[in-house]
Amino acid sequence: MMTITRRALMGSALAMPAIIHGTAHAQPSAIKLALLAPLSGPFARQGELMRLGAELGVEDVNRNGGIKALGGAKLDLAIADAGANVEQVTAATQRLAADRDLIAGMGAWASSFTLAATEVTERAKLPWVTLSWADSITERGFHYVIATSPPSSKIIPAALEPLLALAGKSVGKKPGTIACINDDTAVNQANMEPLRNGGFAKLGLKTVMDENFSVPLSDAAPLIQRLRRARPDLVLLGTTATSDSRLLLQTLTEFGLGQGKVPVIAPSANWGTPEMLKNMGTTYLEGVIGVAGNWSSKQQAALNQDLLQRSKEPWLIQDTLSLYGHVQLIADALERAGKADRDALMAALLATDTTEGPAKLFLGDRLRFEKNGRRANPVPAVFQWKGGKPLTVLPEADAEAELSWPQPG
Amino acid sequence: MAFAGHIEALLQILTAGLLLGCLYGLMCAGLGLIFGIMRVINFAQGEFMMLAMYAGLTGVAVLAPGRSWAFATAMLVACAVAALFYGLGALTHWALVSRVSGARAVGTADAGHTGQLILTLGLSLVLQNGGLMLFGSSPVSIPNDAAVRSWTMEFAEGDVMLFVNQARAFSALMAVAAVLLTILLMARTGIGRQLRAVANNPIAALYMGVNVDRAFRTAFGIGLALTAVAGVCVATFYPFQAYTGFDFVIIMYAGVVLGGMGSVGGAFLGGLLIGLVQQLSTLVLPPQLQNTAVFIVFLAVLLIRPQGLFGRGVERA
Repeated sequence: MMTITRRALMGSALAMPAIIHGTAHAQPSAIKLALLAPLSGPFARQGELMRLGAELGVEDVNRNGGIKALGGAKLDLAIADAGANVEQVTAATQRLAADRDLIAGMGAWASSFTLAATEVTERAKLPWVTLSWADSITERGFHYVIATSPPSSKIIPAALEPLLALAGKSVGKKPGTIACINDDTAVNQANMEPLRNGGFAKLGLKTVMDENFSVPLSDAAPLIQRLRRARPDLVLLGTTATSDSRLLLQTLTEFGLGQGKVPVIAPSANWGTPEMLKNMGTTYLEGVIGVAGNWSSKQQAALNQDLLQRSKEPWLIQDTLSLYGHVQLIADALERAGKADRDALMAALLATDTTEGPAKLFLGDRLRFEKNGRRANPVPAVFQWKGGKPLTVLPEADAEAELSWPQPG
Repeated sequence: MAFAGHIEALLQILTAGLLLGCLYGLMCAGLGLIFGIMRVINFAQGEFMMLAMYAGLTGVAVLAPGRSWAFATAMLVACAVAALFYGLGALTHWALVSRVSGARAVGTADAGHTGQLILTLGLSLVLQNGGLMLFGSSPVSIPNDAAVRSWTMEFAEGDVMLFVNQARAFSALMAVAAVLLTILLMARTGIGRQLRAVANNPIAALYMGVNVDRAFRTAFGIGLALTAVAGVCVATFYPFQAYTGFDFVIIMYAGVVLGGMGSVGGAFLGGLLIGLVQQLSTLVLPPQLQNTAVFIVFLAVLLIRPQGLFGRGVERA
């Protein structure tokens, strides 16, 4: 029979910290990333799509052995609700920034939200990766921001140029007039600023109507009536909320201008969501062209299929794809940084220059960043509704279908 | 040509304002009835409307899976949802609102207003977040063809064209019918007389044998039923989600105050006026100032008639 003596007990107690310490070394501590997304309020659906992308990204990094340079450390996602307005965003970011274990953050969807969030994260020296478009996000001299989408000033002109050329070939005449209806959110106003200041003229377009409205739109009839009188060759609809997108498209159809009679170009990912299809139906969406910061690529068909199966979404849009890419980008930078340190990570993020790994998760060949954190030579994603699905049509290397200029059918 | 354009814009905007205003009016009538009779400001009215929208969507999905009959079905479902929400209103009053209003609030320092405020605001938050958990965050609407169809009228040899959206037009007719029925109910029936008596003086009504608590319950039920009809109508042309109620609730308060606290017809006209001002303002102001125009008119009216356009000063309607 074994006797437990006082000496043996004392010895075990003394040895315990060493045993625990050894175990802690064997299992490197998790690396904490933050996701700030609107999970309540009118933009909750977009936040859900972002969360989906970030969770899938973290799951894949951890499944593949975590961060190898850090002994296989796993990623841990801290999710915060950005709510419905800038005040809620600021409060949520302040709570996140107080957590010294956080290594980096991602979010916060709307440009106005990201502008507010990065004011806080910059002070906390917390690297922040975003899909938001507004130029001002990377033009404030901040040192801890990375933006993977093309900036507002470039996204629409870069998309319009090939579209107008195609229109010229398809209908024999390049469109000469454009009508613009935008909501007054930061991103849509930022999109329009360079176009109003000579951008449209450079593209050979004359603006015959330029109206802004506040979200939510109560009735689109007065706006569409003006559009009908203005007789533009194409219309640019800049909306943030699905309800506004639907009202505008519904009223265009009602006024006999839908289904390609006046081609619709919508610089917003919400035009490609499954909700648009559920609310509008295939017929009314056919031919509508959308512009976004990221979309699915035929080059990543296998990955897309895997993500689709796991996400249970009918297709994936910018919000999910970019967040999946952001996690992979941070993981790649952590491998290069070799330590879980905010400054080292930020330096590694800025030094990213690759055509492999995370570069495959964004459209275009090469992934690198300018000094201000904005992606260098970004490529906008152009998608078009075809047979009830928003398929990537530009850039050609990533296109899942051929772009066709909408014509009344 | 330019003149024709102005006339067309005026006609189109006037039509849009009238159609939308009727629905705003119906929402305001529901809120106004509750306030007029019970003196309770229901901050959860918008969220009850949101619940009615989901109830309408479910009803239409079950009864008419296709788009072609969806709108007609939605109008019938709106009546069923109204009955359901009358019951829900009565239940909510019995379980919650009665604890901070009516006889239980008599003798409290602020006649129960603080309790009512906290209760209805709390209810609004619970319904918003509960709705998000239950129905998800995707915006949905009742898919139907009437929302994208309009009657077209031509004037001046086709120079001026007017488009009247079918879903909005039928919804506006439904709203007018619902308000007229409520006004008739209030003016011509026994329960209407009881409700008016309770609105005028609940203590005197009690002495006259009126069951004040039951009258309050009825008022709360009718108020929710009216807003539920408006919700189902709006859901036929407007995508909604758990937070949609908030988009309309400010309009509801403004309409009730503008029309005159305590008057169902006044609240309806207040809502109608808001719809008209909101749309007509786009003739002279940029569209993003629509709601600013509404509140300028709101303040101007209150400056001239603090009791609202159809209110009766300190007297209860």
